[in-house]
Amino acid sequence: MWRTNLRIVAVVLGTLGFYTLIANKIPQVQSEVPKALTLGADVTPEQLVAAGEQVYTGIGGCATCHGLGTRAPNLLTDEAGTGPIGIRCGRREPGKSCKQYLYESLDNPTAYVVSGYQAIMPVMTRQLPPNQIWAVIAFLESQGGTVDVTASDIPVQASTPAGGASPGGASGAAFAGGSTDPQALVNAAGCIGCHTLNGAGGAVGPDLTRVGARRSAQAIRQKILDPASSVTKGFEQFAGVMPKTFGTMMNAAQLEALVQYLAARK
Amino acid sequence: MTDGLLLLQAAIDSIPAYREFPVIGARAAVWITAEVHLMFAAFVLGVPMFAVVAEAIGIFNKEERYDRLAKEFTRLLLVAYSATAIWGALLTFALITLYPRFMSHLTAVFGPTMWLYAALFLFESFTLYLYYYGWERWKVGRAKWVHWGLGILLNVWGTIVMFIANSWLTYMMSPPAGVTADTVPGSIKLWTAIATATWMPINIHRLIANVVFGGAIVAAYASYRFLAAQSDEERAHYDWMGYVGNFIAISALIVLPFAGYWLGREIYEYDQSMGITMMGGFMSWLWVIQAFLIAVLFLTGNYYLWLGMGRIPGAERFRPYTKWLLAILVVGAIVWGTPHTMIASSQELAAMGGSHHPFLGVLGVMSAKNTAVNLMILTTFLSFLMYRRANKRPVVRWARTGTQIQATMFLVAAAVVLYFGIRGYFVEAIVRIGYSVYQVLAVLACIVGATVIDVMLGRGAESRGAILWGKMPPRSQYALFILAVTFTWLMGLMGFARSGVRQHWHVWQVMQDTSKYAATPALGYAAEMISVCVLIFLTLVGFVFWLGGLAEKSTFADATGKAGTHVAH
Repeated sequence: MWRTNLRIVAVVLGTLGFYTLIANKIPQVQSEVPKALTLGADVTPEQLVAAGEQVYTGIGGCATCHGLGTRAPNLLTDEAGTGPIGIRCGRREPGKSCKQYLYESLDNPTAYVVSGYQAIMPVMTRQLPPNQIWAVIAFLESQGGTVDVTASDIPVQASTPAGGASPGGASGAAFAGGSTDPQALVNAAGCIGCHTLNGAGGAVGPDLTRVGARRSAQAIRQKILDPASSVTKGFEQFAGVMPKTFGTMMNAAQLEALVQYLAARK
Repeated sequence: MTDGLLLLQAAIDSIPAYREFPVIGARAAVWITAEVHLMFAAFVLGVPMFAVVAEAIGIFNKEERYDRLAKEFTRLLLVAYSATAIWGALLTFALITLYPRFMSHLTAVFGPTMWLYAALFLFESFTLYLYYYGWERWKVGRAKWVHWGLGILLNVWGTIVMFIANSWLTYMMSPPAGVTADTVPGSIKLWTAIATATWMPINIHRLIANVVFGGAIVAAYASYRFLAAQSDEERAHYDWMGYVGNFIAISALIVLPFAGYWLGREIYEYDQSMGITMMGGFMSWLWVIQAFLIAVLFLTGNYYLWLGMGRIPGAERFRPYTKWLLAILVVGAIVWGTPHTMIASSQELAAMGGSHHPFLGVLGVMSAKNTAVNLMILTTFLSFLMYRRANKRPVVRWARTGTQIQATMFLVAAAVVLYFGIRGYFVEAIVRIGYSVYQVLAVLACIVGATVIDVMLGRGAESRGAILWGKMPPRSQYALFILAVTFTWLMGLMGFARSGVRQHWHVWQVMQDTSKYAATPALGYAAEMISVCVLIFLTLVGFVFWLGGLAEKSTFADATGKAGTHVAH
């Protein structure tokens, strides 16, 4: 019986050891906690690129669409024979340097939609503070090109995005200059990047021109605070695209002003 | 009043967020206690399900051996219950002492359910004692039905207990809309916190997985008893028990991926970034390991069936087909394990010439993988059907037609699976996802249809000879051990996937993990932890079974030929 027991122990230990060995032989990727980005005046291109990669794969959520499917162009690899983004960025818009093109693509993505794709990208300068935006640009330039982003590109003491919103933060007071004017809020939040309002805007999200006829104020509020709470029929393929940060970017008065403005559009 | 609240808040704030555990650290301590507790819990929830089914078969068919099997299953539960409770207590102590602020949050949200959980666990325990110790007393007539009712009740308590515990972890994974870091935990409505997006998919997934797990552990127990058997009769009984345990495990395993798809879909719908982290992010390699483990399960399960056919007169006629079945399984496993959307560095991407490998990228997509796994399921079912049919000679007039219809069902199902698999390459992702439903439905329809026909074909069938239970080579029993270890390891791996997908959040995007263990470890470390947990569990379960055996009075004929009361089959 001892022999049988030993065989059983050997089978169990052998199987466990085999699985453990295989799991250790594959590439080891640990999910790190995102670190706050601090870039000083003496930041090097290498530091910018490293920081940009973190933002790209982490808080920026860029990898959600770029490079992992057919939603958006590949940036880190070849795209239809034009090479990775660092090579092709300088040729995308005549008269614009790679750096300029990338910044404007992040600031006004609907103006630079690559043929064959839809205008689904949110305005990243509303989502990320300037230092993260410039770090991402440096990282993208490093994909086959030359990194020419320097500390001088990053606005001094600007740790929050234009308009004052900080991603995931609660500094809504300065969003849209603190205005509660709904139109200013719509502009600041970049709603028409994806939604149509009064005949203008994108087609990634539902038309908001008569949104009040479809949704109550309560439902609109919930949708802004938690975009995943519901998906309008016909837009299922864009589920998850709407940023979740609007609720934290605006203060309560701004949110309420925007909700009432949209709810009244019947 | 305000002063009181401030004092309370101050008291909460003064609680340290984390404490350390000697040598192995706080995370490892919670990991081990949680995992071992869950393994025992899965066992004590899974086994009563098929104990009650086995008892029902015994009642309806008046077959004593099923009643005996059900009782033996239940006997294994008694000590396992104590072990479950002990590890549950250890987990609770570990969480309260090592992660006090997180537990303060969780108890503030779920306090009432925790009391209900404890009460139901008590009911469950006493129902189990009544069920087991009343077995001989309530063995005949109406009393037997009452006894069977106790078995049902045992399952009801167990299922509710599991649903409650699941709500705690699904809240951590997918907290309800509107809950933010600033939300006061006590203000969250209890039902809202319970009925989150992933709650029911996890409930169903775990319910099925528990059956798989319970079956595998019971089969391992039977294989040990087979190897230690002192008489042919005892060997025959444990051979049969091992077969039944393995049959239950594999049958439930075939359904499990469908529950898994539902869970994955809900995760994507809840938060796409979480879904992408799980399937295409840092966890992407985990699915390659999972595919490898499931390939081991399919291959070992089929191997056991093929060996089992050696003890069935008439099975020889099917032997030439096994090499083709093996080929399909191996090719299917290779396709299923092909990596696709992996985290890769710029250099690696450049070396591949794109985000996906030029050749393997084609095999690594869901169209190919779904096709492979569905064909593997069909192949396994065909193995089982041959096993079932091996010693039977149908006598119904339509026997030949029936067999032809069965064969057609297999061909049609395989054709549907292949058609949608190939067509999936030419349509958009949203359409392609829908194709997996058609593939699954084709396979399920084949399984159900062919089984129904087989049952009807078997009516009054002539026997080519009785199954020679006990006439199995020892290597078949070691195969059952490999299955049990693999199922247990797989459970640990999937637990890591479910928990790790939250990354550095205790409660997803509500309560951040700020401890020194906040980073989610790579698979290598996770594998070591899983192996340690499996080893602890199997060692303890071996001890539990040994304890159970001490109290057992053998009813088998011993090696010297003394008669026992067991009925041979």
